[in-house]
Amino acid sequence: MNNNIMDNKTVNLQSKQKRMIDYITVSIGLALLVVGLYLIKALTDPKGVMLALPYVAIGIGCGTFGHGMGNIIQRKALKGHPEIARQIAIDQNDERNIAVGNRAKAKAHDMMVYVFGALMLSYALMGVGVLPILLLVGSYLFVIFYGIYYRVKYDKEM
Amino acid sequence: MKNRLEELRKQKGIKQEELAAILEVSRQTIGSLENGRYNPSILLAFKLARYFEISIEEIFIYEEEKEHE
Repeated sequence: MNNNIMDNKTVNLQSKQKRMIDYITVSIGLALLVVGLYLIKALTDPKGVMLALPYVAIGIGCGTFGHGMGNIIQRKALKGHPEIARQIAIDQNDERNIAVGNRAKAKAHDMMVYVFGALMLSYALMGVGVLPILLLVGSYLFVIFYGIYYRVKYDKEM
Repeated sequence: MKNRLEELRKQKGIKQEELAAILEVSRQTIGSLENGRYNPSILLAFKLARYFEISIEEIFIYEEEKEHE
């Protein structure tokens, strides 16, 4: 009985925290959008990084706003339909769905290694500057070492 | 891995959707299990065994692979 009350309290707290995070996400997105639009209007002769920054702010702002608002709308839409909410939760936690997703991600990762490799070779042959190639090589190695790190971590855990 | 899931479910007279709802998995998972396309986790195997009130071995038929043929 006490455990059930504690569980309900924890669930309510988690849902309240998620709601708060969504509202904060929407606010940050809106703020970025407004700042981006203001910068486009206010800067008469932008130079250097300021040429792209307003558009980057608008892009990130739109994405963040959309993500947060989507979550809020979804929560409101599902409020009166607990059966649909339950089905969505079942589909998200379904072990076969998770296994299918993980397998697809593994395939995509394998393909990405070849795509990155081909891209690095193409950039090198095209005579692109050293900085873009180094950034690409750095990203490639980061992803590879990220995979190795988790392989070792899971090897110890399982 | 072969199994008797479809037969057991039909004996109970329930649909795939109903079994999926009871076990809290998707209907597709039940369909794949019945077709033998997907092998369940040990937790889901126990849930199934508990639901049908039989042992896991009575649901899933283990056949050793004939590797050296």
